[in-house]
Amino acid sequence: MYIVNHHRRINAVFLLFFIFLAFCIARLLFIQFFRATYLKGIAKKQYNLFVELEPRRGTIYDANLKPQAVNISIDSLYAVPNEIPELDKERITKKLSPILDMDYSSLKDKLYRQKAFIWLARKITPGQTEAIKKLNIKGLGFLKETKRCYPNGYLASHLVGFAGLDNVGLEGLELLYDRSLKGENGFAFFLRDARQKRLDLYENMVVPKDGYDLILTIDEVIQYIAEREIDKVYRAYRANSASIIVMDPHTGAILALAKRPTFDLNEYAKVSRAQIHDSAICDLFEPGSVFKIVTASAALEEKKVVEEDKFFCENGSYKVATHILHDHTPHGWLTFREVITESSNIGTTKVAQILGPQTLYRYVRLFGFGEKLGIDLPGEISGSIKEPRLWSKVSIGAIPIGQEVGVTALQLVSAVSVIANGGQLMKPYLVREIRDKYGETIKAISPQLIRKVISIDTASRMKKILTGVVEDGTGKLAKVPGFTVAGKTGTAQKLEPNGAYSHDKFIASFIGFAPAEDPAISVVVTVDEPRPYYFGGVVAAPVFKNVVSDTLKYLKTHPSVLEALASHETDRDN
Amino acid sequence: MKIPKFLAAIFFITLLSLLYVWQQTEIFRLAYAAQKQQTSFQNLLDKNTVLRYNIKRDSSLTRLGNKFFQQSDFQMPETYHLVRLEYSKGNMVLSESQPNKEGILSRLFGIKRQAEAKTIKSPNPLVVGSY
Repeated sequence: MYIVNHHRRINAVFLLFFIFLAFCIARLLFIQFFRATYLKGIAKKQYNLFVELEPRRGTIYDANLKPQAVNISIDSLYAVPNEIPELDKERITKKLSPILDMDYSSLKDKLYRQKAFIWLARKITPGQTEAIKKLNIKGLGFLKETKRCYPNGYLASHLVGFAGLDNVGLEGLELLYDRSLKGENGFAFFLRDARQKRLDLYENMVVPKDGYDLILTIDEVIQYIAEREIDKVYRAYRANSASIIVMDPHTGAILALAKRPTFDLNEYAKVSRAQIHDSAICDLFEPGSVFKIVTASAALEEKKVVEEDKFFCENGSYKVATHILHDHTPHGWLTFREVITESSNIGTTKVAQILGPQTLYRYVRLFGFGEKLGIDLPGEISGSIKEPRLWSKVSIGAIPIGQEVGVTALQLVSAVSVIANGGQLMKPYLVREIRDKYGETIKAISPQLIRKVISIDTASRMKKILTGVVEDGTGKLAKVPGFTVAGKTGTAQKLEPNGAYSHDKFIASFIGFAPAEDPAISVVVTVDEPRPYYFGGVVAAPVFKNVVSDTLKYLKTHPSVLEALASHETDRDN
Repeated sequence: MKIPKFLAAIFFITLLSLLYVWQQTEIFRLAYAAQKQQTSFQNLLDKNTVLRYNIKRDSSLTRLGNKFFQQSDFQMPETYHLVRLEYSKGNMVLSESQPNKEGILSRLFGIKRQAEAKTIKSPNPLVVGSY
């Protein structure tokens, strides 16, 4: 009886175990065949860490491969408020606030939030990192991020532009070439251990594609010279703004572009829109007498006048329709050459009357006014020039002398480059080459001819006339010892809000190139509302002189510059 | 006969399993060690980048130029101010062909500025790249 019962009990236990085993096997089979994918997913989430891999943003170099915008790896400070004891938060805030230069109450507010993660300060300086690490505060941590830095501060700030906190281009070339510069994100599934720490073992990885580097046409030294001189004139004449562009007239490559007021690229968040605004390509203004180069070139190209043709300049007062035109100094008879060198409004108007509105308009457009020249910078405007059918009877006395037209400084430097290079309008450009991180060229940008505007002969004759402006005319202060310089002064009255021309607000300008025989650079200088002096020949011409003088000394490789320097020194030795 | 085979199989399976476990732990141990070194290396690299950036910033034209031009009236050098150095037998020596030396007349009568990039306001003469 006992044995039977014993066997039954054993069988019952075995049965129970068997049922349990069968249940387990069934459950395992169910999990294996029906729940595997789901559970695998959950497990992967626990031990896999998805990390987006940030690409390196491309560097921006000047023409001599000197970096203008670079990335540096820098710490960002975060807090885990839940891990910080409530009693310590006040003390920590007091310690961190001066180090981070942050408002005490906003920092305290962040630390008291019931969150698992919160940024306290992003992209802090290495000094701040060291100071915070020394405090050894539990609940604070650092994450590496890359920061866009600009070693030259304010140099070329308007054209380089800047990238924001997330390394996305916001202004200038950083914005326009953002797609090339930023590269493509990669990702990886890293393993992490039981403490949720990342381990550099990955299951799957897509390597990030680093951004391309930009090589600019800008030369850091020329840019510095331009910045230095424009800064001097901006301060000395308490101007509203001032800008300068230096261009290689043969290629259209911009060698320097500077503007005042300016800003430090590393402090872009603290500046106003007005400081960031690039007036050299985004602002239009009436150019005044510098525009006479268009009228003069058109007259020579159309063979309507020759240099020695004489014009009576009405002793300084000439009626055009309902308006009376004046010269700043009354003149009697002047040759065509003198009309330009003395910048006679009346003489130029008479030349334009010979040409007629249609021809003049055609040349204004040929010189690139009223259209975007296609520079690789965001925000370029086309300027404004009315079609002849919209001209009033006064227009023929205004447009030839640079009134009733709106131009940009870039258009002016391109126009004077037409004369400098023998009659070709070149497309201005800033980026010479796009390279990958190994130095392989991805895209090379060559000079582009927009159109032929005037003949070589006309350009050569215009060079001589413009040389006369500097030698004997209104631009004497632009003379550069040792070089022959060609240029034209401009003093334009600004428009008042009521549409009338102002008598105390002017734009002083100077356009020109040097050496006149074989130009290496062409330059435009514009100064908005200088005071107390406002003549282009007084305010802008000295800037031109200083920039040309130092730039030509620097550009000693240019044959014409070398030749001029050698002859200048021989003259001085003798 | 069957039992020894079974035991041998169990032994080999156990050995392989242990080997696999050892291999896995080694991978993780090395990964931790490598990661530690990688972190140190990255930190040094980052510090190096920051220091290089600081050098670039401190030697930038804006900084140097402002210092020279605003405080000492530094002037752009003429061609005769420049010297050409040549590498010869481990030393840098003045090139024999100095193309733009100051002329004898001007030197005698002192009709032009000396070749030194002079400071005017500063008491310390600056003689970088000049003779």
